[in-house]
Amino acid sequence: MSTAAKKKATGFQKKEARLAWALISPTALIVFGLVIFPAIFSIWVSFHDVGLHNLNDVFHAPYVGFDNYVKVINDYAFKFQGLDNLGAAVTSVVYSFSATTLAIIIGLIASLILNRPFRGRGIARAIFLFPYVAPIVSVAFVWRWILDPKPSGVLNNILLSLNLIEEPIAYLANRGLSLLIVILLDAWRYFPFCMLMILARLQAIDGKLYEAAKMDGANAIQQFFTITLPELRYVLGATFLLRLMWTFNKFDDIFLYTGGGFGTKVLPVLTYEFSFRLYDFGRGAATAMILLVVLAIFLTVYVTVVMKNVED
Amino acid sequence: MKSEKKNLIGHLAGWITWKRFLFAVVFIFFITGILFPFYWMVSSSFKTREEIGGREPVYIPGGFRLDAYRELFDPNYPSYQDFGQNVSNTLKVSIPTAIIAVILAILGSYAIARLRFKGKNVLLNGILLVYLFPGVLLIIPLFAMLAQVGDRVGFNVQDNLGVLVFTYLSQTLPVALYMLTNYFRTIPDEIEQAALIDGCSRMEVIWRVTLPLSIPALVSVSIYTFMIAWNEFLYALIFLNDHNMFTMPIKINTIFNDPTPRPNVVMAASTIMTIPIIILFLALEKYLAEGLTAGGVKG
Repeated sequence: MSTAAKKKATGFQKKEARLAWALISPTALIVFGLVIFPAIFSIWVSFHDVGLHNLNDVFHAPYVGFDNYVKVINDYAFKFQGLDNLGAAVTSVVYSFSATTLAIIIGLIASLILNRPFRGRGIARAIFLFPYVAPIVSVAFVWRWILDPKPSGVLNNILLSLNLIEEPIAYLANRGLSLLIVILLDAWRYFPFCMLMILARLQAIDGKLYEAAKMDGANAIQQFFTITLPELRYVLGATFLLRLMWTFNKFDDIFLYTGGGFGTKVLPVLTYEFSFRLYDFGRGAATAMILLVVLAIFLTVYVTVVMKNVED
Repeated sequence: MKSEKKNLIGHLAGWITWKRFLFAVVFIFFITGILFPFYWMVSSSFKTREEIGGREPVYIPGGFRLDAYRELFDPNYPSYQDFGQNVSNTLKVSIPTAIIAVILAILGSYAIARLRFKGKNVLLNGILLVYLFPGVLLIIPLFAMLAQVGDRVGFNVQDNLGVLVFTYLSQTLPVALYMLTNYFRTIPDEIEQAALIDGCSRMEVIWRVTLPLSIPALVSVSIYTFMIAWNEFLYALIFLNDHNMFTMPIKINTIFNDPTPRPNVVMAASTIMTIPIIILFLALEKYLAEGLTAGGVKG
């Protein structure tokens, strides 16, 4: 290549790079200004005393060291105090692990159903996605109305008339039971996501594997455990990770179902309460940082240990 | 010959195997479990106050009573809610969010997918961090920052739909960018190279070649960004105080928490909020289902 051509090539590359920055700069600015900077800024807030009184002059807020963290960790709403009062930290872990596991199991069953060819499968798949795409506000209030504590609530009415319960139950205002119900509702809402992920992988499994297994005389259950499940390992692991992360961060669902009462207070709801009920933004940010640290530790462990094993 | 003479029961008995039976039972269980809440939402919205407040639940409303809808939309109705205003606020927020996010994402994704420049991976990873951050983490600094900026520049942070659109970009833009980048990477580079050799500029290539090939992805990304803004609850809850500025989710929450419970009105408002989303989804299911696994909705 002659030097002139080389020069032309680097000139072209430079022009390309300039164009690239021109194209991406509005997006980069917005993402930096609205995501990355706020994330870093919230670390700063968590070490300062920030409230409504000095919100207009945030940058001069007094530095308080780890005070906010100490306050959060000693808060009765945060710490574990026994099985009847789990505290937000343990509740968050219990809630996100069980809701995610349940959503994956239901999603797996649903995907196995939809993997069989039958008439109307397309429309069935669309219907199966309804819980996930419907607005959370509508979904939450319908469930609250179905679970109405009065005898006229649908679920109470059905269970009473079947003589399964003797008195109407306040499903979402009952320590212990409420957490279970919220977990079930979460699995109801988020299983379609797991279903779609698993379904995509199921349809990619080589049919010859099943034929060979049939020749060897394996029945449906044996085929499931020796072929389907091993083939799904990776997608199950990845879906679990994504869902767990998102469930751990979830605010809307629990806030709308119970407002965080009756033993369902999770870390995002606690963050909201510190910040926008008590207007103690420092303490709120500290709670959010604790949440993020727990999540980051878990992600690292999961990706290095579990996903590595799955890949091997 | 014999098989043709089988009656209905015979056919059924021949068709049913244990596997099919199990399949049918599980399938019906799923369909009922999924559809019942939606049925209950729509049917409750047509109930009168007597039907909704009785001792026994009414499974099928006596008729299409529009009491609940009249409370939402009819100015002459006592305790009129002016829900039309809330619908319009939601549209004022979600349509601009979708348009801005898609336009910016087209430019940004094209740069990431096609052009070489320094700092690309840092940028892409920074964008993906959004999938990791909880919304509650970002709202505290956003609130504090925007309050500062608003004070200096002279706009209100609260009850300002423009500010809300701006904050929604933090949630929609990364999603749109991620989905479109992945899509642009699937378009063969050769087509664009040919257009470049023919003398088109990059912008012309984007406009004439890339975008026409990406229409399915563009449809699905615009609908996802629209849906995120349409459904958004937390940011709207914090940034909106004035009833006239409420978006639908906040208004529904307010009606629900009213001292006199009126589930039929809550259900009517929820129905209005849900139906457009379900219709969009049914109409475009093929594109949208793929988008979900590609990260279209975070959460």
